[in-house]
Amino acid sequence: MSSPPLSPGASLLHTPLHAAHAARGAKLVPFAGWSMPLDYGSILKEARAVRSSAGIFDVSHMARFWFRGPDAAAELDRALGGATADQPVGKARYNLLLNERGTILDDLITYRTGPSEYFMVVNASNRERDRATLAARMQTTRLTDVTEDGGGILALQGPDSRQLLEQLSGQSGFCPRFLDLAQLPTPDLGPLFVARTGYTGEHGYELFVTPSQIQPVWERLLAAGAVAVGLGARDVLRLEAALPLYGHEIHEGVQPFEAGLGFAMKGWQTRDFVGAAALRAMPPSSRQLVGLRAEQRPPREGYPVLCAGQPVGLVCSGVWSAWLDQPIATAYVRSDAQGELSVDARGKNVPVQRVPLPFVSHRSRE
Amino acid sequence: MRPSDRSYAESHEWAKLNGDIVLVGITDFAVEQLGELVYLDLPKPGRVLRKGESFGEVESVKAVSDLYAPADGEIVEVNSALSDDLDTLQTDPFGGGWLIKLRIKAPAQALSGLLDAKSYEQRVAAAH
Repeated sequence: MSSPPLSPGASLLHTPLHAAHAARGAKLVPFAGWSMPLDYGSILKEARAVRSSAGIFDVSHMARFWFRGPDAAAELDRALGGATADQPVGKARYNLLLNERGTILDDLITYRTGPSEYFMVVNASNRERDRATLAARMQTTRLTDVTEDGGGILALQGPDSRQLLEQLSGQSGFCPRFLDLAQLPTPDLGPLFVARTGYTGEHGYELFVTPSQIQPVWERLLAAGAVAVGLGARDVLRLEAALPLYGHEIHEGVQPFEAGLGFAMKGWQTRDFVGAAALRAMPPSSRQLVGLRAEQRPPREGYPVLCAGQPVGLVCSGVWSAWLDQPIATAYVRSDAQGELSVDARGKNVPVQRVPLPFVSHRSRE
Repeated sequence: MRPSDRSYAESHEWAKLNGDIVLVGITDFAVEQLGELVYLDLPKPGRVLRKGESFGEVESVKAVSDLYAPADGEIVEVNSALSDDLDTLQTDPFGGGWLIKLRIKAPAQALSGLLDAKSYEQRVAAAH
């Protein structure tokens, strides 16, 4: 087999839970400049645990920004593809950062925490570029990057997650709705800043924890029965739920509509924002993001998609689905491709079936 | 310590010589690095391989990896049951998880250039 890359160890960033991951036997791998847990023994078991009970992920590598100032609402509204000015205080919203050409620089979530204050989480791999791009688009609004403040993000996902949070809090009746922000009281750790968001398609929460909260919250949720889940299972879960990943389904060569992300472009036809003119002038895309299922081997990123022997597209992501127990993949395929599809798997023709997205239904609103 | 009765390639295959036959597999380190296996593609007997040539593929949940011939030779037998029993490859890569048998021409030199167990051990330790 191919040799594994030597880890460039010393230069990688560590989350505050790095030692805890190592102690649990995590396979730690370099990811976007961080040393992160790929799995704690089994990608497939961890992925199944999230759909059947609850899993907890350390995603403290994701970049966290604050935007503060009296013009924050208007300036972010001009900086992002989807509206933020009309975003209610106390709500999260999925959004896109576009370039002048109307293609995707990143996807992100904004959390409106006050009339003049937004919190934002962006992909670790795009942290520097996003920060520079956004800073250049702000006039009077202050952008603060708090990614390395010693706190972090814990994602608690799965049908049992609400019950686990109530256990952590010692209080019942915690029931924020999908995309709500909430304060969860705790007996001794102060209030937790929680959002009903996630990247698995399950009912779940993201916990934005302070330096003094991150260790005890992680440990108590594990002790209460949450399963530690690594980035390997996170990728399986997000692909099952057909949630896009930067560098795969979305990148600078993709516009929002062909990626199926038109819903994130609130007010795009009338608002003034970076990329608006290009988007409004853009002809309809000749390709679309589709779901593929295979029998034995997963179609992988970069495999050509064929129709009657002719190339009609490219695979974006492919994994073994833990929930469906079969290979799944996303691909951009020409809209005029009719008939049976296959992929060119390193020289071998592998038949695939086109299926609707997502592969696993979302339960995040339940 | 890994078995000392065989030789190791830097690409994490092992090769065990018995007469003019070389038994070929992948190491426990290879299996651990790949993670949970989902697919194995092995060639048919009769194919002649050059050292370093890809003779098959192994796929995990996350990745696909080539399998490389550790020596020149003709494939005389393939562990064809393994494709439907990836657990054996996962749990017993030095035994029941063998992949192919090669018939070689010059047994004395066939495995020259490969690592012994001790040297392989050091390579793996350095990669951790």
